[in-house]
Amino acid sequence: MKKLLLLLFVFYSTSIFAGTRGTLYIAENETPENLDPANATNSTVDQLLVGVYDALVQFTAGETTVSPRIAKSWSVSEGGKKYTFNLRSDVRFHDGSKLTAEDVKFTLDRLVAAKGNTMNDLAFYKGAEVVDDYTINLLLSAPFGPFISGLSRIYIMNKDLVKPNLGDDNGRSWLAVNEAGSGPYKVTKYKPTEEVVLEAFEGYWNGWSGNHVSKVVFVYISEPSTQLALLKSGDVHIAPDLTVDDKVDLKGNSDFKVDIGAAATPLYFQLNTQGKKLMQNSLFRKALVMAFDRELHLNQVLRGFGNMPDGPLPSNWPGHKKGTEAGFDLSSAKKIINENGWAGTRLLVRYLPAIEEEKRAVEQFQSNLKKIGITLDTEGMTWPSQAATVQKLETTSDINMIYNFPSFPDPHAILNTSFNGKLTGYNGGYNWAQYSSGKVDALLDQAASSSDQNQRAKLYSKVQQMVGNDHVVITVSNPGSVVVMSNKVVGYKYNVAHHQTFNYMDIGLK
Amino acid sequence: MSFESIKNISLYIIQRIVLTIIALVVLSFITFSLSYIVPGDAALVAAGPSAGKEKIEQLRVEMGLNLPFYEQYFVYLTKLSRGDLGKSWFTHQPILNDIKDLLPASAELVFFAMLFNIIIAIPLGVLAATKRDSKTDFSIRILVMIGAGIPIFWLGLLLQHFLASETGLFPIAGRLSFSNRNFEGSTGFLFFDSVVQGEWGVFWDSIWHIILPAFTLSVLFIAVITRTTRSTLMRALEEDFITLARSKGISEYRVIIKHALRNALVPTVTILGMQVGWMMGATVLVEEIFGRPGIGKYAVKAVTQSDIHGVVGVVLIVGIIFIFSNLIVDIVHLFLNPRLRKNSIGNL
Repeated sequence: MKKLLLLLFVFYSTSIFAGTRGTLYIAENETPENLDPANATNSTVDQLLVGVYDALVQFTAGETTVSPRIAKSWSVSEGGKKYTFNLRSDVRFHDGSKLTAEDVKFTLDRLVAAKGNTMNDLAFYKGAEVVDDYTINLLLSAPFGPFISGLSRIYIMNKDLVKPNLGDDNGRSWLAVNEAGSGPYKVTKYKPTEEVVLEAFEGYWNGWSGNHVSKVVFVYISEPSTQLALLKSGDVHIAPDLTVDDKVDLKGNSDFKVDIGAAATPLYFQLNTQGKKLMQNSLFRKALVMAFDRELHLNQVLRGFGNMPDGPLPSNWPGHKKGTEAGFDLSSAKKIINENGWAGTRLLVRYLPAIEEEKRAVEQFQSNLKKIGITLDTEGMTWPSQAATVQKLETTSDINMIYNFPSFPDPHAILNTSFNGKLTGYNGGYNWAQYSSGKVDALLDQAASSSDQNQRAKLYSKVQQMVGNDHVVITVSNPGSVVVMSNKVVGYKYNVAHHQTFNYMDIGLK
Repeated sequence: MSFESIKNISLYIIQRIVLTIIALVVLSFITFSLSYIVPGDAALVAAGPSAGKEKIEQLRVEMGLNLPFYEQYFVYLTKLSRGDLGKSWFTHQPILNDIKDLLPASAELVFFAMLFNIIIAIPLGVLAATKRDSKTDFSIRILVMIGAGIPIFWLGLLLQHFLASETGLFPIAGRLSFSNRNFEGSTGFLFFDSVVQGEWGVFWDSIWHIILPAFTLSVLFIAVITRTTRSTLMRALEEDFITLARSKGISEYRVIIKHALRNALVPTVTILGMQVGWMMGATVLVEEIFGRPGIGKYAVKAVTQSDIHGVVGVVLIVGIIFIFSNLIVDIVHLFLNPRLRKNSIGNL
């Protein structure tokens, strides 16, 4: 009888239903690696899964604070090492079965076993205890303030569906091409180099009130001019990867909308603090920091699509401290260089030439440094090659360019990644300045373990001040997330916690 | 054909196949070595942001990247002998499956580009050679120079802009219109599968979608074949046997097509064979512009992720196509040129 009901449910949910209409076509330049939620730190994966799976908590598009999703509510134990979640009891997976605490535990156990990238931000996670069908405890080995935020990228999967397919690789092969979610859309076609099709799931627990599309098609087109042609012809509704010039042109065209999302993906020149003797000198690094014109970059390279950076943290984030990073002052920089006899120094910067913004920033920096007597040699690379060079101090170049893509909008996600001595390049992290300061590490650890947001904000302010005094990075830009779409699209909002994704579950067509 | 000729041909083909296998092993070694030498760390990329050293090291062991080069290559070769190209570290799928899905799209593109190449280049070459130093010859030579010099990428963008975006004569991108994309075939060759299933709408849609990309891909190659055909045919037309044929009163058409062109085609066929491999390598640019799936795009992604198995898999498959197309060319030579059949071994 149970099986029959399940079959009826599946039949019912796969039939055409009212409440959604139309097909949304989204062009995307990079093909997805796979469909595995373990890889949801990668935006090409996350942009598909964000509406296919549910998480315990969520950052909805347009919001910077976490809100309940599968978890109706939660509480934290006195010492901050135990989180108790009360789950919704009306959530069903795409096969019609109910989502319970067992599925949550299975998801986390599997992510730990598979060394899922999404667990990187939940370093203190220790294990899960199922209390009953709709209550679960998550245990930590140490208190971790951003724990709840980190859970927003942990997509809950259907245990009964995945377990038989775990194989010998923790389900990597199966989940790479199959989904086991409970979100508003389900994957009905997965051809990763061509297109991925998602269709609305009628049994979706949150219902379908409002304007929503029945189908979402991601079309993989890497060439910006082709994306533009498809957008103009009406073949696609959203084209995020156009050139800056095309975005500027379309800004005044009433057939299209140009959305500028307040993204939080700062681009840095990271200055090797443990490199050659001169690079270890903070005064020398200060001269370098003063040699880059951020305003010129914002106006000429980003054509105004972004915010003027003021230190390594986006200025609208909690804990941001103003004026910590030395500003552009070429004459003072030149004075420092000349007074100390540092003219004639040669430095090497490594960057990704495939990214226009990085290329243009390097050009400006090279030109400015020449004016103060420093020669900047440049080495363009691919991402894996550049990342490999910083794994050893002796192969780390004087300067490296890198974007920071935080997984959730919390200062920890940016400052810890970029400045914690435990996450230097040679320790396998993205602190490519190889910056190691016992005081900064202690402040970062203290902030991470606190759940008092005011205290955390104060600690992060101190971190920014210390990093600024040490002249560790040049924050080149805070580029906006510019997405061009047809004026038929309604409901698009940028989601700072899911950068380079689209809230297709909230989008309708006029 | 005499017994001696058949024996010679058989020996020739066997020797070519043995050489082909050796070439493939050498190719796999070179590609594997290059992927190993090129800086990059797949474990680091696979581990994701903020992974930490411990996790990266664990992944390196799981991926077998901690093993010495010779051991990694030996493991790879052992799997390869079983037809297993390994698993992609990023798609988590067998490389062979990934390539099987994508190769038909690229092969289809190359097939049509080659068709354009043969249909356009050989008649143009013949025309230029027979109208030597005339206005026609001059015009064809100018066209050949333009074709040889024009970058594929730029030509593709121009054709797409004027013939697709502006006029709507051709589709902008993809292999099929969105309305036909649910079509599934058994081989992945859309024009073939659609005919087999009697889906004529899909057939014409696939042809309509492939014309611009295939033409874009073919232009450079058309230039080469036109020029080769022109020069070899001109040389052949000056041979004594042509003078003899003409003196016998054979029609000029038969002299050119049956006597001169058949001899002139030997180098042309050689180049056509090699062009199959070159075209395969050039598909990536056309696939990028016209938003078509294919192994070119797959290879680029594999390179940027340091996915060694993916890179070696694609290079090996393209290498196999290159080597086998040359093998076929060598065999075709035997039929085009009777002198080769007499002493084939000596011509190896």
